[in-house]
Amino acid sequence: MKEYVLDEPLTGGFLKFLENFGTVRFLDQLRKPYFSFEKEQFISIKGFVGDSNVEVRYKKESQDLVADYFHLLLYYYDQGEKGILALNGQEDVIRKKMKVRQDP
Amino acid sequence: MVNNPTPVIYLNNAATTYPKPPEVLEEVASCLRLPVHEAGRTTGTGSTDYPSAAREALAAFFHAGPPEHVIFTQNATDALNLLIHGFVRHTGAPFHAITTELDHNSVLRPLTTLEQDGAITLSVVPFTNATVDLGAIKKMIRPETRLVVMTHGSNVLGSVQDIRPIAEYLHANDIFIIADGAQTAGHIPVDLADIPVGAYVFTGHKALFGIPGIGGFFISDPNAIAVTRQGGTGTDSRTLTQPSRMPERFETGTHNYPGIASLFAGVRFINTAGLSEIERTGTDLTNRFIRELKRTPGITIYNENPDLPFVSFDIAGIDNQEVGFILARAYNIIMRTGLHCAPLVHKRIDEGTGCIRASFSYFNTREQIDTAITAIREVAQSADR
Repeated sequence: MKEYVLDEPLTGGFLKFLENFGTVRFLDQLRKPYFSFEKEQFISIKGFVGDSNVEVRYKKESQDLVADYFHLLLYYYDQGEKGILALNGQEDVIRKKMKVRQDP
Repeated sequence: MVNNPTPVIYLNNAATTYPKPPEVLEEVASCLRLPVHEAGRTTGTGSTDYPSAAREALAAFFHAGPPEHVIFTQNATDALNLLIHGFVRHTGAPFHAITTELDHNSVLRPLTTLEQDGAITLSVVPFTNATVDLGAIKKMIRPETRLVVMTHGSNVLGSVQDIRPIAEYLHANDIFIIADGAQTAGHIPVDLADIPVGAYVFTGHKALFGIPGIGGFFISDPNAIAVTRQGGTGTDSRTLTQPSRMPERFETGTHNYPGIASLFAGVRFINTAGLSEIERTGTDLTNRFIRELKRTPGITIYNENPDLPFVSFDIAGIDNQEVGFILARAYNIIMRTGLHCAPLVHKRIDEGTGCIRASFSYFNTREQIDTAITAIREVAQSADR
Protein backbone atom coordinates (compact mmCIF):
# COMPACT_ATOMS: atom_id res chain seq x y z
CA MET A 1 0.00 0.00 0.00
CA LYS A 2 1.20 3.49 -0.80
CA GLU A 3 -0.30 6.84 -0.10
CA TYR A 4 0.20 9.49 -2.76
CA VAL A 5 -0.26 13.23 -2.45
CA LEU A 6 -1.22 14.57 -5.88
CA ASP A 7 -0.47 18.02 -7.30
CA GLU A 8 -4.18 18.74 -7.63
CA PRO A 9 -7.34 17.48 -5.93
CA LEU A 10 -9.08 14.54 -7.63
CA THR A 11 -12.08 15.40 -9.81
CA GLY A 12 -15.24 13.65 -10.98
CA GLY A 13 -13.72 13.75 -14.48
CA PHE A 14 -10.88 11.52 -13.36
CA LEU A 15 -13.40 8.96 -12.05
CA LYS A 16 -15.11 8.96 -15.48
CA PHE A 17 -11.70 8.29 -17.01
CA LEU A 18 -11.05 5.43 -14.55
CA GLU A 19 -14.34 3.76 -15.54
CA ASN A 20 -12.68 2.82 -18.85
CA PHE A 21 -10.24 0.54 -17.06
CA GLY A 22 -11.96 -1.12 -14.10
CA THR A 23 -14.76 -0.96 -11.53
CA VAL A 24 -15.42 2.41 -9.98
CA ARG A 25 -17.56 2.77 -6.85
CA PHE A 26 -18.68 6.29 -6.04
CA LEU A 27 -20.48 7.18 -2.81
CA ASP A 28 -21.44 10.81 -3.24
CA GLN A 29 -23.79 11.15 -0.26
CA LEU A 30 -21.04 11.05 2.36
CA ARG A 31 -19.49 14.00 4.15
CA LYS A 32 -16.72 13.65 1.56
CA PRO A 33 -17.59 11.92 -1.75
CA TYR A 34 -15.72 8.62 -1.65
CA PHE A 35 -14.53 6.61 -4.59
CA SER A 36 -12.71 3.37 -5.14
CA PHE A 37 -11.24 1.94 -8.31
CA GLU A 38 -10.66 -1.79 -8.53
CA LYS A 39 -8.83 -3.81 -11.11
CA GLU A 40 -8.78 -7.31 -9.73
CA GLN A 41 -5.35 -8.87 -9.17
CA PHE A 42 -3.77 -5.63 -10.34
CA ILE A 43 -4.48 -2.37 -8.54
CA SER A 44 -6.97 -0.66 -6.26
CA ILE A 45 -7.24 3.04 -5.55
CA LYS A 46 -9.24 4.71 -2.77
CA GLY A 47 -9.81 8.36 -2.08
CA PHE A 48 -12.22 11.26 -2.01
CA VAL A 49 -13.20 13.61 -4.80
CA GLY A 50 -11.79 17.00 -3.90
CA ASP A 51 -8.85 15.50 -1.95
CA SER A 52 -5.25 15.31 -3.06
CA ASN A 53 -4.47 12.17 -1.04
CA VAL A 54 -5.09 8.73 -2.51
CA GLU A 55 -4.33 5.25 -1.23
CA VAL A 56 -3.06 2.85 -3.86
CA ARG A 57 -2.77 -0.89 -3.22
CA TYR A 58 -1.08 -3.51 -5.33
CA LYS A 59 0.59 -6.86 -4.87
CA LYS A 60 3.94 -6.53 -3.18
CA GLU A 61 5.75 -8.68 -5.74
CA SER A 62 4.73 -6.40 -8.62
CA GLN A 63 4.56 -3.05 -6.88
CA ASP A 64 7.24 -1.42 -9.04
CA LEU A 65 5.39 -2.36 -12.25
CA VAL A 66 1.94 -1.40 -11.04
CA ALA A 67 3.09 1.84 -9.47
CA ASP A 68 4.07 2.82 -13.01
CA TYR A 69 0.51 2.06 -14.09
CA PHE A 70 -0.86 4.48 -11.51
CA HIS A 71 1.44 7.20 -12.79
CA LEU A 72 0.33 6.46 -16.34
CA LEU A 73 -3.31 6.85 -15.31
CA LEU A 74 -2.54 10.35 -14.13
CA TYR A 75 -0.43 11.09 -17.21
CA TYR A 76 -2.96 9.92 -19.82
CA TYR A 77 -5.99 11.42 -18.09
CA ASP A 78 -5.64 14.71 -19.98
CA GLN A 79 -5.41 13.04 -23.41
CA GLY A 80 -9.04 11.87 -23.79
CA GLU A 81 -9.76 8.98 -26.18
CA LYS A 82 -6.14 8.82 -27.30
CA GLY A 83 -5.06 8.41 -23.69
CA ILE A 84 -7.51 5.53 -23.15
CA LEU A 85 -6.09 3.61 -26.13
CA ALA A 86 -2.52 4.27 -25.11
CA LEU A 87 -3.15 3.15 -21.56
CA ASN A 88 -4.84 -0.09 -22.62
CA GLY A 89 -1.67 -0.95 -24.50
CA GLN A 90 0.48 -0.10 -21.49
CA GLU A 91 -1.60 -2.33 -19.22
CA ASP A 92 -0.98 -5.31 -21.52
CA VAL A 93 2.76 -4.64 -21.40
CA ILE A 94 2.75 -4.47 -17.59
CA ARG A 95 0.65 -7.63 -17.26
CA LYS A 96 3.07 -9.51 -19.54
CA LYS A 97 5.98 -8.40 -17.37
CA MET A 98 4.09 -9.53 -14.27
CA LYS A 99 3.47 -12.93 -15.85
CA VAL A 100 7.13 -13.34 -16.73
CA ARG A 101 8.06 -12.48 -13.17
CA GLN A 102 5.51 -14.95 -11.82
CA ASP A 103 6.46 -17.84 -14.15
CA PRO A 104 10.00 -17.15 -15.32
CA MET B 1 -5.25 12.45 10.37
CA VAL B 2 -4.26 13.91 7.05
CA ASN B 3 -5.98 17.25 6.33
CA ASN B 4 -8.67 16.57 8.90
CA PRO B 5 -9.27 19.21 11.54
CA THR B 6 -11.93 17.11 13.38
CA PRO B 7 -10.69 15.68 16.71
CA VAL B 8 -9.90 11.99 16.41
CA ILE B 9 -12.37 9.52 17.86
CA TYR B 10 -10.34 6.47 18.74
CA LEU B 11 -12.36 3.25 18.88
CA ASN B 12 -9.54 0.74 18.41
CA ASN B 13 -8.78 0.08 22.05
CA ALA B 14 -8.80 -3.71 21.69
CA ALA B 15 -5.66 -3.26 19.59
CA THR B 16 -3.95 -0.65 21.79
CA THR B 17 -5.60 1.74 24.21
CA TYR B 18 -5.42 5.45 23.48
CA PRO B 19 -5.10 7.83 25.18
CA LYS B 20 -3.04 6.63 28.10
CA PRO B 21 -3.79 8.08 31.53
CA PRO B 22 -1.59 11.15 32.17
CA GLU B 23 -0.05 9.43 35.21
CA VAL B 24 1.19 6.62 32.97
CA LEU B 25 2.95 9.06 30.66
CA GLU B 26 4.40 10.86 33.68
CA GLU B 27 5.69 7.61 35.19
CA VAL B 28 7.41 6.69 31.91
CA ALA B 29 9.01 10.13 31.75
CA SER B 30 10.03 9.89 35.39
CA CYS B 31 11.56 6.44 34.77
CA LEU B 32 13.62 7.80 31.88
CA ARG B 33 14.74 10.90 33.79
CA LEU B 34 16.62 8.86 36.44
CA PRO B 35 19.21 6.09 36.18
CA VAL B 36 17.54 2.69 36.23
CA HIS B 37 17.49 0.88 39.54
CA GLU B 38 17.23 -2.88 39.85
CA ALA B 39 18.97 -5.05 42.42
CA GLY B 40 22.07 -6.72 40.97
CA ARG B 41 22.30 -4.47 37.92
CA THR B 42 23.49 -1.19 39.43
CA THR B 43 25.28 0.22 42.44
CA GLY B 44 22.83 3.11 42.42
CA THR B 45 19.94 3.46 44.79
CA GLY B 46 17.10 5.87 45.24
CA SER B 47 14.95 5.55 42.15
CA THR B 48 12.07 3.09 41.93
CA ASP B 49 12.90 -0.58 41.31
CA TYR B 50 10.19 -0.80 38.67
CA PRO B 51 10.42 -4.55 37.94
CA SER B 52 9.92 -5.41 41.62
CA ALA B 53 7.25 -2.76 42.18
CA ALA B 54 5.28 -3.74 39.06
CA ARG B 55 5.58 -7.45 39.86
CA GLU B 56 4.03 -6.84 43.26
CA ALA B 57 1.33 -4.60 41.81
CA LEU B 58 0.38 -7.18 39.16
CA ALA B 59 0.43 -10.09 41.61
CA ALA B 60 -1.96 -8.16 43.85
CA PHE B 61 -4.10 -7.09 40.89
CA PHE B 62 -4.56 -10.69 39.70
CA HIS B 63 -4.65 -12.15 43.25
CA ALA B 64 -1.70 -14.24 42.15
CA GLY B 65 1.31 -15.12 44.17
CA PRO B 66 4.14 -15.10 44.78
CA PRO B 67 5.09 -11.91 42.88
CA GLU B 68 8.24 -13.60 41.51
CA HIS B 69 5.93 -15.82 39.46
CA VAL B 70 4.87 -12.76 37.45
CA ILE B 71 7.20 -12.67 34.45
CA PHE B 72 7.74 -9.77 32.06
CA THR B 73 7.93 -10.29 28.30
CA GLN B 74 7.65 -8.05 25.25
CA ASN B 75 3.91 -8.63 24.85
CA ALA B 76 1.30 -11.39 25.02
CA THR B 77 2.55 -13.05 21.82
CA ASP B 78 6.05 -13.25 23.24
CA ALA B 79 4.69 -14.71 26.50
CA LEU B 80 2.61 -17.31 24.64
CA ASN B 81 5.57 -18.36 22.51
CA LEU B 82 7.77 -18.73 25.58
CA LEU B 83 5.12 -20.78 27.40
CA ILE B 84 3.99 -22.97 24.51
CA HIS B 85 7.44 -23.83 23.21
CA GLY B 86 8.75 -24.19 26.79
CA PHE B 87 5.96 -26.60 27.67
CA VAL B 88 6.60 -28.71 24.57
CA ARG B 89 10.32 -28.87 25.28
CA HIS B 90 9.69 -29.78 28.92
CA THR B 91 7.25 -32.55 27.96
CA GLY B 92 9.63 -34.06 25.43
CA ALA B 93 7.57 -36.72 23.66
CA PRO B 94 4.84 -35.71 21.20
CA PHE B 95 1.42 -35.11 22.80
CA HIS B 96 -2.04 -33.82 21.99
CA ALA B 97 -2.89 -30.13 22.47
CA ILE B 98 -6.18 -28.26 22.27
CA THR B 99 -7.03 -24.70 21.32
CA THR B 100 -10.22 -22.96 20.16
CA GLU B 101 -11.65 -21.22 17.14
CA LEU B 102 -11.76 -18.02 19.18
CA ASP B 103 -8.02 -17.88 19.52
CA HIS B 104 -5.61 -15.34 18.10
CA ASN B 105 -2.69 -16.09 15.79
CA SER B 106 -0.43 -15.59 18.81
CA VAL B 107 -1.74 -19.00 19.90
CA LEU B 108 -2.67 -20.58 16.55
CA ARG B 109 0.64 -19.97 14.82
CA PRO B 110 2.96 -21.42 17.50
CA LEU B 111 0.68 -24.45 17.88
CA THR B 112 0.35 -24.99 14.12
CA THR B 113 4.11 -24.70 13.71
CA LEU B 114 4.63 -27.34 16.41
CA GLU B 115 2.01 -29.53 14.76
CA GLN B 116 3.79 -29.25 11.41
CA ASP B 117 7.06 -30.13 13.14
CA GLY B 118 5.47 -33.28 14.56
CA ALA B 119 5.89 -32.13 18.15
CA ILE B 120 2.15 -32.13 18.87
CA THR B 121 -1.18 -33.12 17.41
CA LEU B 122 -3.76 -30.36 17.60
CA SER B 123 -7.53 -30.13 17.99
CA VAL B 124 -9.48 -26.90 17.61
CA VAL B 125 -12.67 -26.55 19.65
CA PRO B 126 -15.53 -24.76 17.85
CA PHE B 127 -17.40 -22.00 19.63
CA THR B 128 -21.15 -21.93 20.23
CA ASN B 129 -22.98 -18.66 20.91
CA ALA B 130 -19.62 -16.86 20.85
CA THR B 131 -18.15 -18.97 23.65
CA VAL B 132 -16.29 -22.19 24.34
CA ASP B 133 -17.32 -24.07 27.46
CA LEU B 134 -16.00 -27.02 29.43
CA GLY B 135 -18.34 -29.46 27.66
CA ALA B 136 -16.92 -28.57 24.26
CA ILE B 137 -13.36 -28.96 25.53
CA LYS B 138 -14.10 -32.28 27.22
CA LYS B 139 -15.22 -33.69 23.87
CA MET B 140 -11.75 -33.06 22.45
CA ILE B 141 -9.71 -34.47 25.34
CA ARG B 142 -7.82 -37.69 24.65
CA PRO B 143 -5.65 -39.80 26.95
CA GLU B 144 -2.56 -38.14 25.44
CA THR B 145 -3.83 -34.55 25.87
CA ARG B 146 -1.33 -32.53 27.89
CA LEU B 147 -2.00 -28.90 27.00
CA VAL B 148 -4.92 -26.52 26.44
CA VAL B 149 -4.21 -23.00 25.23
CA MET B 150 -7.27 -20.79 25.01
CA THR B 151 -8.33 -17.21 24.96
CA HIS B 152 -10.01 -15.84 28.05
CA GLY B 153 -11.68 -13.05 26.07
CA SER B 154 -12.32 -13.09 22.32
CA ASN B 155 -10.80 -10.10 20.54
CA VAL B 156 -13.49 -10.32 17.82
CA LEU B 157 -16.69 -11.34 19.59
CA GLY B 158 -15.92 -9.79 22.99
CA SER B 159 -17.05 -12.94 24.76
CA VAL B 160 -15.39 -14.03 28.01
CA GLN B 161 -14.95 -17.76 28.55
CA ASP B 162 -15.95 -19.16 31.91
CA ILE B 163 -12.39 -20.21 32.59
CA ARG B 164 -12.72 -21.36 36.22
CA PRO B 165 -14.57 -24.69 35.69
CA ILE B 166 -12.37 -25.38 32.67
CA ALA B 167 -9.19 -24.76 34.66
CA GLU B 168 -10.46 -26.81 37.61
CA TYR B 169 -11.27 -29.79 35.39
CA LEU B 170 -7.98 -29.64 33.50
CA HIS B 171 -5.97 -29.15 36.68
CA ALA B 172 -7.66 -32.21 38.22
CA ASN B 173 -6.81 -34.20 35.08
CA ASP B 174 -3.18 -33.13 34.92
CA ILE B 175 -3.63 -31.07 31.74
CA PHE B 176 -1.75 -27.78 31.66
CA ILE B 177 -3.86 -24.76 30.71
CA ILE B 178 -2.52 -21.49 29.38
CA ALA B 179 -5.18 -18.77 29.43
CA ASP B 180 -4.61 -15.88 27.05
CA GLY B 181 -5.80 -12.86 28.99
CA ALA B 182 -4.62 -10.25 26.49
CA GLN B 183 -8.17 -8.92 26.19
CA THR B 184 -9.43 -9.49 29.74
CA ALA B 185 -6.62 -8.10 31.91
CA GLY B 186 -7.75 -4.63 32.95
CA HIS B 187 -11.30 -5.03 31.66
CA ILE B 188 -12.75 -7.49 34.17
CA PRO B 189 -11.70 -8.81 37.58
CA VAL B 190 -9.33 -11.78 37.22
CA ASP B 191 -8.88 -13.71 40.45
CA LEU B 192 -6.13 -16.26 39.90
CA ALA B 193 -6.41 -17.39 43.52
CA ASP B 194 -9.75 -18.84 42.47
CA ILE B 195 -8.82 -20.09 38.97
CA PRO B 196 -6.19 -22.86 38.87
CA VAL B 197 -4.64 -22.00 35.50
CA GLY B 198 -1.17 -23.23 34.68
CA ALA B 199 -0.36 -19.81 33.25
CA TYR B 200 -2.24 -16.59 32.62
CA VAL B 201 -0.92 -14.26 29.90
CA PHE B 202 -1.43 -10.49 29.83
CA THR B 203 -0.28 -7.59 27.72
CA GLY B 204 0.49 -4.07 28.87
CA HIS B 205 -0.64 -1.90 25.98
CA LYS B 206 -4.34 -2.73 25.98
CA ALA B 207 -6.67 -2.37 28.99
CA LEU B 208 -3.81 -2.22 31.51
CA PHE B 209 -2.98 1.19 29.97
CA GLY B 210 0.75 0.56 29.57
CA ILE B 211 2.79 1.43 26.50
CA PRO B 212 3.47 -1.02 23.66
CA GLY B 213 6.39 -3.40 24.18
CA ILE B 214 5.54 -4.81 27.58
CA GLY B 215 3.52 -7.85 28.59
CA GLY B 216 3.96 -10.96 30.63
CA PHE B 217 2.45 -13.94 32.35
CA PHE B 218 1.79 -15.46 35.73
CA ILE B 219 2.87 -19.06 36.14
CA SER B 220 1.79 -21.32 38.95
CA ASP B 221 4.43 -24.05 38.50
CA PRO B 222 7.57 -22.74 36.76
CA ASN B 223 8.96 -26.27 36.43
CA ALA B 224 6.24 -27.09 33.89
CA ILE B 225 7.99 -24.84 31.36
CA ALA B 226 11.50 -25.55 30.09
CA VAL B 227 13.86 -22.61 29.88
CA THR B 228 14.28 -21.64 26.24
CA ARG B 229 16.20 -18.36 26.71
CA GLN B 230 19.45 -17.86 28.52
CA GLY B 231 21.57 -14.85 29.37
CA GLY B 232 22.43 -12.24 31.95
CA THR B 233 20.20 -11.84 34.96
CA GLY B 234 22.35 -9.73 37.27
CA THR B 235 22.48 -12.70 39.67
CA ASP B 236 24.54 -15.94 39.97
CA SER B 237 26.92 -14.58 37.39
CA ARG B 238 29.59 -17.26 38.07
CA THR B 239 27.18 -19.94 36.88
CA LEU B 240 27.15 -20.55 33.13
CA THR B 241 23.66 -21.99 33.11
CA GLN B 242 20.41 -20.10 33.58
CA PRO B 243 19.41 -19.68 37.24
CA SER B 244 16.40 -21.82 38.12
CA ARG B 245 14.92 -19.41 40.64
CA MET B 246 12.18 -16.99 39.78
CA PRO B 247 11.93 -14.61 38.04
CA GLU B 248 15.44 -15.10 36.58
CA ARG B 249 14.44 -18.50 35.20
CA PHE B 250 12.43 -16.75 32.48
CA GLU B 251 13.62 -13.13 32.48
CA THR B 252 16.97 -12.54 30.88
CA GLY B 253 18.71 -9.46 29.53
CA THR B 254 17.96 -5.86 30.38
CA HIS B 255 14.35 -5.16 31.18
CA ASN B 256 12.09 -2.77 29.32
CA TYR B 257 12.10 -0.32 32.23
CA PRO B 258 9.87 2.37 30.66
CA GLY B 259 7.39 -0.31 29.63
CA ILE B 260 7.36 -1.84 33.10
CA ALA B 261 6.98 1.63 34.64
CA SER B 262 3.97 2.24 32.38
CA LEU B 263 2.44 -1.06 33.45
CA PHE B 264 3.03 -0.23 37.10
CA ALA B 265 1.31 3.14 36.66
CA GLY B 266 -1.46 1.62 34.54
CA VAL B 267 -2.40 -0.86 37.25
CA ARG B 268 -2.26 1.94 39.83
CA PHE B 269 -4.57 4.02 37.63
CA ILE B 270 -7.07 1.15 37.35
CA ASN B 271 -7.00 0.62 41.11
CA THR B 272 -7.62 4.33 41.68
CA ALA B 273 -10.38 4.66 39.08
CA GLY B 274 -11.87 1.35 40.19
CA LEU B 275 -12.11 -1.71 37.97
CA SER B 276 -15.87 -1.88 38.50
CA GLU B 277 -16.22 1.74 37.35
CA ILE B 278 -14.07 1.02 34.28
CA GLU B 279 -16.18 -2.04 33.55
CA ARG B 280 -19.41 -0.05 34.02
CA THR B 281 -18.21 2.65 31.59
CA GLY B 282 -17.31 0.05 28.97
CA THR B 283 -20.65 -1.70 29.32
CA ASP B 284 -22.56 1.57 29.08
CA LEU B 285 -20.73 2.64 25.90
CA THR B 286 -21.06 -0.81 24.34
CA ASN B 287 -24.78 -1.07 25.05
CA ARG B 288 -25.36 2.41 23.65
CA PHE B 289 -23.39 1.58 20.50
CA ILE B 290 -25.18 -1.74 19.95
CA ARG B 291 -28.62 -0.25 20.63
CA GLU B 292 -28.07 2.42 17.96
CA LEU B 293 -26.42 0.04 15.49
CA LYS B 294 -29.46 -2.23 15.72
CA ARG B 295 -31.65 0.70 14.66
CA THR B 296 -29.55 1.14 11.52
CA PRO B 297 -30.67 -0.80 8.44
CA GLY B 298 -28.06 -2.90 6.67
CA ILE B 299 -25.91 -3.65 9.74
CA THR B 300 -24.93 -7.13 10.90
CA ILE B 301 -23.68 -7.34 14.49
CA TYR B 302 -21.75 -10.53 15.20
CA ASN B 303 -22.33 -10.63 18.95
CA GLU B 304 -25.08 -8.48 20.40
CA ASN B 305 -24.18 -9.39 23.99
CA PRO B 306 -20.42 -9.03 24.36
CA ASP B 307 -18.84 -9.25 27.82
CA LEU B 308 -16.03 -6.94 26.76
CA PRO B 309 -16.44 -3.47 25.22
CA PHE B 310 -15.92 -4.67 21.63
CA VAL B 311 -18.49 -4.71 18.84
CA SER B 312 -17.81 -6.43 15.53
CA PHE B 313 -20.10 -5.62 12.64
CA ASP B 314 -20.47 -5.30 8.90
CA ILE B 315 -22.38 -2.95 6.62
CA ALA B 316 -24.27 -4.56 3.72
CA GLY B 317 -23.04 -3.67 0.28
CA ILE B 318 -19.65 -2.30 1.23
CA ASP B 319 -16.36 -3.97 2.03
CA ASN B 320 -15.16 -3.63 5.64
CA GLN B 321 -11.82 -2.17 4.53
CA GLU B 322 -13.65 0.56 2.62
CA VAL B 323 -15.77 1.36 5.67
CA GLY B 324 -12.63 1.67 7.78
CA PHE B 325 -11.03 3.92 5.19
CA ILE B 326 -14.08 6.19 4.93
CA LEU B 327 -14.57 6.47 8.69
CA ALA B 328 -10.90 7.27 9.23
CA ARG B 329 -10.40 9.72 6.39
CA ALA B 330 -13.75 11.47 6.17
CA TYR B 331 -14.83 11.38 9.82
CA ASN B 332 -11.56 10.90 11.75
CA ILE B 333 -12.98 7.84 13.49
CA ILE B 334 -10.48 5.05 14.03
CA MET B 335 -11.60 1.42 14.26
CA ARG B 336 -10.03 -1.78 13.01
CA THR B 337 -11.08 -3.79 9.98
CA GLY B 338 -10.13 -7.16 8.55
CA LEU B 339 -9.40 -10.41 10.34
CA HIS B 340 -8.05 -9.07 13.65
CA CYS B 341 -5.39 -11.85 13.62
CA ALA B 342 -8.16 -14.33 14.45
CA PRO B 343 -8.83 -16.13 11.16
CA LEU B 344 -10.84 -19.05 12.55
CA VAL B 345 -13.46 -16.81 14.17
CA HIS B 346 -13.92 -14.97 10.89
CA LYS B 347 -14.16 -18.21 8.94
CA ARG B 348 -17.24 -18.96 11.05
CA ILE B 349 -18.91 -15.55 11.24
CA ASP B 350 -18.21 -13.89 7.88
CA GLU B 351 -16.68 -16.61 5.66
CA GLY B 352 -13.24 -15.18 6.27
CA THR B 353 -13.84 -11.79 4.70
CA GLY B 354 -13.31 -9.89 7.95
CA CYS B 355 -15.40 -7.19 9.55
CA ILE B 356 -15.27 -3.84 11.32
CA ARG B 357 -14.54 -3.75 15.04
CA ALA B 358 -15.26 -0.84 17.37
CA SER B 359 -13.64 -1.21 20.79
CA PHE B 360 -14.01 1.22 23.66
CA SER B 361 -12.00 2.32 26.65
CA TYR B 362 -12.64 4.17 29.88
CA PHE B 363 -11.68 7.39 28.08
CA ASN B 364 -14.35 7.22 25.39
CA THR B 365 -17.54 9.22 25.85
CA ARG B 366 -21.20 8.84 24.97
CA GLU B 367 -20.83 11.81 22.63
CA GLN B 368 -18.10 9.97 20.72
CA ILE B 369 -20.33 6.92 20.42
CA ASP B 370 -23.15 9.08 19.06
CA THR B 371 -20.83 10.74 16.54
CA ALA B 372 -19.55 7.32 15.41
CA ILE B 373 -23.11 6.03 15.01
CA THR B 374 -24.06 9.04 12.88
CA ALA B 375 -21.05 8.40 10.64
CA ILE B 376 -21.79 4.68 10.34
CA ARG B 377 -25.40 5.50 9.41
CA GLU B 378 -24.22 7.84 6.67
CA VAL B 379 -21.95 5.13 5.27
CA ALA B 380 -24.69 2.48 5.49
CA GLN B 381 -27.25 4.73 3.79
CA SER B 382 -24.78 5.66 1.09
CA ALA B 383 -23.80 2.03 0.45
CA ASP B 384 -27.46 1.14 0.13
CA ARG B 385 -28.06 3.48 -2.82
